[in-house]
Amino acid sequence: MLRFWQKRALTGVVTEHREFEDEIAQIRSVLKDEVKKRFAGSLAIRMVDSGSCNACEAECNALSNPFYDLERLGIRFVASPRHADVMLLSGVMTFNMFHHVMDAWEQIPEPKWCITLGDCSVMQAPFTKSFAIKGPVGEHLPVAWHIPGCPPSPEVIMRGLLDFLRSFEQK
Amino acid sequence: MRLIARYAVERQEGLEVVTRYDEKSESVMLDRQNPCVDTIATFHPSAIWFERKMHDDFGIKIEGAFDNRPLVHHERFPKGVHPMRKEFTQTALDFADFTSYKFEAVGGDGVFEVAVGPIHAGIIEPGHFHFSQAGEDMLHQEVRHFYKYRGIEKMVEGMTLDEAKPVIERISGNESVAYQIAWQQIAAQAAGAEMPLPLRRYHAFLLELERFIHHWTDLGFIPNDAGFGAALAYASRIAEEGRRMMAALTGHRFGFGAVKWEKPRIETQGVAAWLERMANEAVWFKEWIMDIPSLWDRFDTTGRLRHEKAVKYDCVGVVARACGVPVDVRLNPFYIEHGFKMQTQAYGDVGARFKVRLAEVENSIAMMRNFLEEEAAALTPGEAEDGRYEAFVESSLGELYMTVELKGGKIERFFARDPGFVNWQALHLMMPGNIIADFPLINKSCDLSYAGNDL
Repeated sequence: MLRFWQKRALTGVVTEHREFEDEIAQIRSVLKDEVKKRFAGSLAIRMVDSGSCNACEAECNALSNPFYDLERLGIRFVASPRHADVMLLSGVMTFNMFHHVMDAWEQIPEPKWCITLGDCSVMQAPFTKSFAIKGPVGEHLPVAWHIPGCPPSPEVIMRGLLDFLRSFEQK
Repeated sequence: MRLIARYAVERQEGLEVVTRYDEKSESVMLDRQNPCVDTIATFHPSAIWFERKMHDDFGIKIEGAFDNRPLVHHERFPKGVHPMRKEFTQTALDFADFTSYKFEAVGGDGVFEVAVGPIHAGIIEPGHFHFSQAGEDMLHQEVRHFYKYRGIEKMVEGMTLDEAKPVIERISGNESVAYQIAWQQIAAQAAGAEMPLPLRRYHAFLLELERFIHHWTDLGFIPNDAGFGAALAYASRIAEEGRRMMAALTGHRFGFGAVKWEKPRIETQGVAAWLERMANEAVWFKEWIMDIPSLWDRFDTTGRLRHEKAVKYDCVGVVARACGVPVDVRLNPFYIEHGFKMQTQAYGDVGARFKVRLAEVENSIAMMRNFLEEEAAALTPGEAEDGRYEAFVESSLGELYMTVELKGGKIERFFARDPGFVNWQALHLMMPGNIIADFPLINKSCDLSYAGNDL
């Protein structure tokens, strides 16, 4: 174990983009009441893959690696739609996933928001519309925000989530 | 004889069923109106999914099959629709009435069923696992997938190889480079082009880098599923560094679009220094993790796949190698010259799979050093000739098989068998004797692809 602590001391803190912390503090102060009321001070996300290549999921997983450490911003991925404020949806919405996605959406308590992730969800990835694809997602769900990219990098996803929060400022 | 794939192709005369073994390929022609073929599942259990898929795709009846359930087509998929038939040209389907799917289950006093998925609790792809439980003990488990069925085989029909490439490289994000190399092998064969050595080395380098990233992700997630989060923090940092290296070299974190007909000039010094550092990290990680007894209590004897079963189920990749089955496409002179060493373990449990991954990461780093080359190279492939071509690539999950038939320069039939497609079918063999809390650990130690499997 000693070796582990040694290593830890040598590696130090690798977390990048500390300015995100300032940004979220700023957003919190501007939207204090709003974020408190709607998101109880933190944002809970239920990730749903409706037929992606898994790159979007890999990037969302990367959000919790020490370089990004998303949870320090109070943004968490939760295990159940019933704990979520936001459904983060990736993929082309396949024929076989359609009803399961709709079920998950229904299970999220109001108020709720759907954020689409990646080019597949808006049918801008190279996949053409086929019998097995029911996308774009916007035809079936009220999409509140879109994070583009194929796949969007962890940084772009973080930026996208912050921009989503900020979009309440104008309202 | 190892079964690699079984698939159908529609022809003028009827439906051709191709059975690809490692040593030979067999072909039968079936009548178009009433297509019927004998099952081979009695000798090769992994043929079950291939045959069920053939029925869904083309309406081929499998004579003697003991499992006639649909595979790719789910509860609300219209009946009697076989989308891989050429006459099927619809771009939209309506949902049919719900017909329930009969899961394999064990009955008995106090035995109950647990259903998991399709949407899982973490950030994972959709799939379904169905358990028969006696208390904590798993009696039986069935995998059900194809929630991500995007119809890619049909989608690329009628495209040229170049047009299909952006789709093919997005079949499975974790194996994008492997899919691209398979694509390129086929394109090169079709054009009769010989790949220059620097280009082959460069692509082999990228493939090892992809394996490096994928293995490190697993080396973190497997201990994490056993409750040891520190390993995830460590390994995910290394995996992220791998992704950044991929982005620095190819302009994309997953290497989408990386495999081309030309290789840029690379400044090798920085890359070599990075490899040196990564080699040290791997040594440190190994010494650290091998020395945590509580972790190995969870790993050892958990989710064991016996050697005979791995052979019988035609397993590939890390799953097979952890059971002492030495299948690896890289076992060829090109790779051996660059330092490839077959990594196997004997016991076939979670611990064995973890050790294979550790050893392969170290081997990948050594090979990457040897593949590294400054020189630029380029090739202009000629016109693609019509014909049937196939390619084998060792992706990070195992042997990837792809075959393409070209007609008039366009794709007539595209078929890819992800390593997951055979390994998923062996997953249930690892369950008996374990408790349900071990399932995530066992599943993660195999780390199979959903997207590549579902196509």
